[in-house]
Amino acid sequence: MSISLTNIINDWIPDQSKVIDFGCGDGSLLKELIDTKKIHGYGVEIDSKKIQECIAKGLSVIQQDIDDGFEEFESSNFDISIMASSIQCLKDPHLALRRMLKLSNKCVVTLPNLGYWRCRADLVFGKMPVTPNLPSSWYETDNLHLCTINDFEKLCEDEGFIINKKIFLNPNRDRSFLASISPNLFASEGVYLLGSK
Amino acid sequence: MNIVKKLIHFNEGLLLESGSKLDSFDLMIETYGELNKDKSNAILVCHAFSGDHHAAGVDSETGQVGWWDQIIGPNKAIDTNKYFVVCSNNLGGCSGSSGPTSVNNDTGKVYGKDFPAVSIADWVNSQKLLSDFLQIKKWHLVAGGSLGGMQALQWAISFPDNLLKCGVFAAAAKSSTQNIAMNEVSRESIRKDVNFFDGNYIEHNTKPKNGLKAARMLGHITYLSEKHMDVKFGRKFQNTDSKVSGNVDYEVENYLQYKGEKFSDSFDANSYILMTKAMDGYDASANTNGDLEKAMSVIKCRLLIIGFDSDWLYPPQRGKDIQLAGMNANVSCTYVILPGEQGHDSFLFAADKYDEIINTFLES
Repeated sequence: MSISLTNIINDWIPDQSKVIDFGCGDGSLLKELIDTKKIHGYGVEIDSKKIQECIAKGLSVIQQDIDDGFEEFESSNFDISIMASSIQCLKDPHLALRRMLKLSNKCVVTLPNLGYWRCRADLVFGKMPVTPNLPSSWYETDNLHLCTINDFEKLCEDEGFIINKKIFLNPNRDRSFLASISPNLFASEGVYLLGSK
Repeated sequence: MNIVKKLIHFNEGLLLESGSKLDSFDLMIETYGELNKDKSNAILVCHAFSGDHHAAGVDSETGQVGWWDQIIGPNKAIDTNKYFVVCSNNLGGCSGSSGPTSVNNDTGKVYGKDFPAVSIADWVNSQKLLSDFLQIKKWHLVAGGSLGGMQALQWAISFPDNLLKCGVFAAAAKSSTQNIAMNEVSRESIRKDVNFFDGNYIEHNTKPKNGLKAARMLGHITYLSEKHMDVKFGRKFQNTDSKVSGNVDYEVENYLQYKGEKFSDSFDANSYILMTKAMDGYDASANTNGDLEKAMSVIKCRLLIIGFDSDWLYPPQRGKDIQLAGMNANVSCTYVILPGEQGHDSFLFAADKYDEIINTFLES
């Protein structure tokens, strides 16, 4: 069984902090953070079905398209914003990251790594990658902007985002030795704590 | 479903926001379902501008279906097998609660235009007395649409300890300039009716039916969306056999004529003016210098705010404003936007998962 994201980013989230989770899905991460860290959590989600699952968990969730911007949240004084496995689904990932860093000093971003060796192998054999982190076929996927670990870190450098912490995971969400020495090839997922200059 | 209709008399005085005082007053209520032993399953629903206490089921005398019957009932979103649902006619209304058509005990005459101005906060205060009467300390949910949604929001602000959840649908934290403008056109058509007699029409044994009818016809246009009107009526001509009058050409005209006529038979003109004034005057942030965040910072319950895309009277952005202020104030609040085919009236119908979302919120 894979380890939950909460365990991985646990140390990055102070108790009782105010957190906004962009693309919160069914709200599992928010719910765990509320239960373990007593955070004030808000989710942003576009899919009505997932919103209903959030409501069922007793969460606060806002129905909104992240691509339309979210400048109006800047007055809410969030400590941390999270975007877990959603950045690649956006029309303008770089704009979303800029906006997130405007509304909170800390940002947690997780993304699937298209440079992971199994993705490369799929491409070598002439097919679009399908892996535990990228489970959907090319015609069903919501992903618009997939990138590699190196691509993402280059974007952070170009945009002036500071990478305060990073963790590289294998498909079991373990911090494997190989993933840590050569993440672009062996990590299936990157987990980042970003800040701005 | 067990429908219980009751007129409750309150001997305690009620000081109104305007500074006037009602020495005693009546509230007409309906209840559905059974209150459980620890009185924890009670739900208060607040009606919209022209609604009344008859929220669900079929009235045995009039045969009329309740205004929120699609949402309230056995095995519906608000399940009366499980919850005890209460709806009261607002003070100043004309369906049994004290209002312009009631007799003023001081004068022995009907209040008419002299019934004091009421506000949404006054309604909430009167309903708090109703909760005390029913011995309900904490409502599981207070909810409503449109004006009723504003009232539900005011409940959360006025009595934060007395509700667990709050549903604010197709509503706003204050009426918009456009809302006030529309209401003024309605009021003007009533005032200019030759039978209005400066509000003293009851003494003249008449009523300003034409003005009331025109007011309602305008109202109906604002409750529907352009698309919905087009889908429902199009540019179809009204069948000659079913025309309400010779002047009618199109189906939409016939519809407005029919609805306006029916409404002007049953509704009181002074009530209409009073209710629209209450709506215009509402501003949840009135006591905090326009700071909605500050006004909402006292809220302890969870909020569910729903807006409908096709609603141009209370557009979804007005709901979003409430959500944002709530989030700034660390209030637990969810904002959902639904397509809602029926314009502002969408809050009345079980469509687009609206009922499912209400039910999920209720059960969470």
